Amino acid sequence: MSFDASQLLSYTPLLILIGMGCLILLAETFAQGHARTGLAWLGIAGCVGALIAIVAGWEGAADPQTHFQGMLVVDRMALFLDGTFVAAALLTLLFAPPYLREQGFEFGEFYAMVLFATAGMVMVIHATHLVSLLIGIETMSLAAYVLTGCWRRNLRSAEGAIKYFLMGAFATGFLVYGMALVYGTTGGELSYAGIASKVPQAAKSPLFYLGEYFILVALGFKVAAVPFHMWAPDAYEGAPTPVTGFMAAGVKAAAFGAIVRLLGTAFGSPLLVFDFTGWASVLAVMAALTMTLGNLAAIRQDNVKRMLAYSSISHAGYLLIGVVASGLGVVSAKPAVLFYLASYTFTTLGAFGVVAWIGNRSDERLYVDDWAGLATKRPAVALAMTIFLLSLGGVPPTGGFFGKFYLFRAAMESPQLYWLVVVGVLNSIVSVYYYLRVVVAMYFRESTRALAPTDGASMRLGLLLTAIAVVLLGVFPGTLVEWAGSVALK
Amino acid sequence: MGLLGWVTLLPLFGAALIMLVPQEEEAIHRGLGLLTGIVTFVVSLLMLSGFDAGQAGFQMEVNQSWIAPLGIHFHLGVDGISLWLVMLTTFLIPVTLLSPQAIGLRRIRVREFTAAMLILETGMIGAFLALDLFVFYVFWEVMLIPMYFIIGIWGGERRFYASIKFVIYTLVGSLLMLLAILYLYAQYHAATGGYSFDYAQLSHLTLPATPQLLCFVAFALAFAIKVPIFPLHTWLPDAHVEAPTGGSVILAGVMLKFGTYGFLRFAMPLFPLAAAQAAPLLAILAVIGIVYGALMAYVQDDAKKLVAYSSVSHLGFVMLGILTLNPTGIQGAVYQMLSHGISTGGLFFGVGWLYDRRHSRKLSDFGGLWAKTPVFAACLLVIVLGSVGLPGLCGFVGEFLVLIGTFTAQKLWGPVGLSGYFMAPKLLGGIAATGVIISAMYLLGMYQRLMFGPLDKPANRAVRDVHGSETWVFGIMVTAAIVMGLAPQPILSRSEKSVEAFVSSYRDRLQEAKRAPDAPPHIYPALPAGGTP
Repeated sequence: MSFDASQLLSYTPLLILIGMGCLILLAETFAQGHARTGLAWLGIAGCVGALIAIVAGWEGAADPQTHFQGMLVVDRMALFLDGTFVAAALLTLLFAPPYLREQGFEFGEFYAMVLFATAGMVMVIHATHLVSLLIGIETMSLAAYVLTGCWRRNLRSAEGAIKYFLMGAFATGFLVYGMALVYGTTGGELSYAGIASKVPQAAKSPLFYLGEYFILVALGFKVAAVPFHMWAPDAYEGAPTPVTGFMAAGVKAAAFGAIVRLLGTAFGSPLLVFDFTGWASVLAVMAALTMTLGNLAAIRQDNVKRMLAYSSISHAGYLLIGVVASGLGVVSAKPAVLFYLASYTFTTLGAFGVVAWIGNRSDERLYVDDWAGLATKRPAVALAMTIFLLSLGGVPPTGGFFGKFYLFRAAMESPQLYWLVVVGVLNSIVSVYYYLRVVVAMYFRESTRALAPTDGASMRLGLLLTAIAVVLLGVFPGTLVEWAGSVALK
Repeated sequence: MGLLGWVTLLPLFGAALIMLVPQEEEAIHRGLGLLTGIVTFVVSLLMLSGFDAGQAGFQMEVNQSWIAPLGIHFHLGVDGISLWLVMLTTFLIPVTLLSPQAIGLRRIRVREFTAAMLILETGMIGAFLALDLFVFYVFWEVMLIPMYFIIGIWGGERRFYASIKFVIYTLVGSLLMLLAILYLYAQYHAATGGYSFDYAQLSHLTLPATPQLLCFVAFALAFAIKVPIFPLHTWLPDAHVEAPTGGSVILAGVMLKFGTYGFLRFAMPLFPLAAAQAAPLLAILAVIGIVYGALMAYVQDDAKKLVAYSSVSHLGFVMLGILTLNPTGIQGAVYQMLSHGISTGGLFFGVGWLYDRRHSRKLSDFGGLWAKTPVFAACLLVIVLGSVGLPGLCGFVGEFLVLIGTFTAQKLWGPVGLSGYFMAPKLLGGIAATGVIISAMYLLGMYQRLMFGPLDKPANRAVRDVHGSETWVFGIMVTAAIVMGLAPQPILSRSEKSVEAFVSSYRDRLQEAKRAPDAPPHIYPALPAGGTP
């Protein structure tokens, strides 16, 4: 085994993110008071650099290349999602500084943790070996636990962080145990390609299936799919709002990327997909449950942040439809999942960005009633929030609509999934009902209560960028579809 | 972008422009909105003058690649049926923007109201012209949002309830329609190997009987809710009563027609066999709607609700006309769609005007207004009579043609061998005709209680007659009602070829579907060579 340092060049985005994270940690010791907000700009610079590196590597990634003895791979799917993660991190770094200042917990480490979490996501999606997957997931999760709990004055934040941490640790246990079982039954294989090559023999042992499903359970925790979603509403509600958006978008996208890759390669054998023991039917049922329970719970919420948390659960359900379709051999399902993840990332970050924007230190204004009359007082923000909510509900002309359309279109190519698409469509209708409740409050009701939002120039920039992105993805989705489509060819 | 592209997108550009003007400049918002509406109308007149009445197919087509990887094209085209519905839209929007009552009693946020109206116009025109099912769906949904806001922001007391109900009802139908569109897309791929949402291609796809019926149900549900067909009409009285006047005018005047237009353009040509199977049921529901809507209108004390229920009744005629599947009945249906747009639009303007003056819509609060408001009374009389269907006014032509079409329906369908396709046309026609009589009872009854009798309510003495831009609004509507009643030929002659082509191609494809109801999805008739974009 030799270590070829030149292979590191293919992972420039990862190196930039980690390097910038370390730099921020160092710089933090010299920054005092509000100057620490300036660290966010270092983080943003890091994200921009990483984005440039991703774009530069795009052409070369047309042919997948594995590195480090099959531990990591560079391909278009990985780069596409890298771009999504880094964009999520960048937007989080735009939303966070005014929020942290207003709520009075400006830690410089915050920005470093965002970058470390992003580096973990990048690792997760590049992983082609269960060990590198584990390292990536742990890097991402540990940073996410810290981010959830960093609002130390706030009890809910602590509660959310503890729940998230315990459940996450539990999920890691599942992952490691699953890895051990797979390792044992395949005769010592942990790389995706190696596992795939040993499936015919290994599938004779029930322990192999147990290992496979343990790994899926661990990833199910990360995407907050029913029945592994219990931690999500509390963690999402307790976390500082910009972090919630980052978790709901980035962490979920990374875990979905891992699921798609794992199920497409290591567990992609028809032997494992179909039949009674196949994961396709299991995930299909999970998809239906996730959509339905997420939406039904969201209807009952009066707290906008919690409602968005439940809605984020239901979106994991829609995405699972794409995963199942991909397993059933629908070629266009993978790009559909990727497109959905990208448009969902912008929409979710934007929506949580508005939630972060509207409150202040003494009053978070999280309840639907608190949003009354926003359209009169701040029409631009109300318009942006409407765009995000319509996108979440899947109403054109938004990215969320096209994402759903693209996903359902892929699923409709497989007659076994018609029922699931019908469930998805019915859920969309239900979801529009509760998303519109916020619109009703913003536009149809008036309020005399004064509005003292957190605001901030970087927040406005973030909202503007996300709103434009969501509309552009709805009106001209062609380019992104092409990028996502080029992923499926390999 | 082509002429049709301009007609569709001009209002959207106007709306964007208006949103850039500061909130306080209400006069500029109104002016710009009206200007955009008029310019769009003028451009649509260009479309009308360029239209070749001798041609049955789509004209002035715009076909640009939009989302290339999925084979989605921004494909627009106009034929004799959509031509007049687009004209109706571009005609009603500027009139609505001219009317001072359109925004309702709470005259807030003029800028947003004007912009919403114009975005709505883009959605409606786009949906009428769309020849790509994806494009159609997008425009169809795009109209939903501004109308939701129009009801919700500028509506009456129960506007939250009404607006949500409107959205949920519409979405239930449209999302199931989306599923059927996706299914068609997948089946087209299976049959030809190509990916297309194009109407010209998908309308050649013949599905086996069972999936055809399921897809038809999905489409028909979306359209039936919009029409609305009894018993899916319950959203309509709520939406109409709560919507501001402008919202009601556009909702009744144009948006309801998407239901009937959808049957003509999509549900029936795409699924001919299923449509034929469902036709008896739909015809019965249409007749129930005619009579039920009329009876409900008869017992209303709220003038707006009365007009809303009259729409249920009148749209029943349109449905019935379409289901006759003979050129006469369908021509009547098309004409009835237009005349209903004018007469019901006018009625909603009238009711809105009264509500603006008196803050009441209860018929029992009025009486004897004739003496105080002679000009308004005269205008309303013409519109009411037009709606009743008095010969010489707009409503007569459509209803008459529909009834003729209904009475002769069986004859036409005999040779095709679909006995029982259109059950008991004489009976259905006879019952439908009673709807005309009841409509005279409730509309004239309404007019009588508003205008005649003693002027015994003190508040009515202070009512001022129409003046200023109101005169223009009512003048234009009355003129349109009279012109449409006296000279139907220019309209009918332009839609004739398209309607005939619709009937003959429908019969042709129906026979193909009947020949082999269980054949796998196949293309019939063969696609024109090189016709694919």
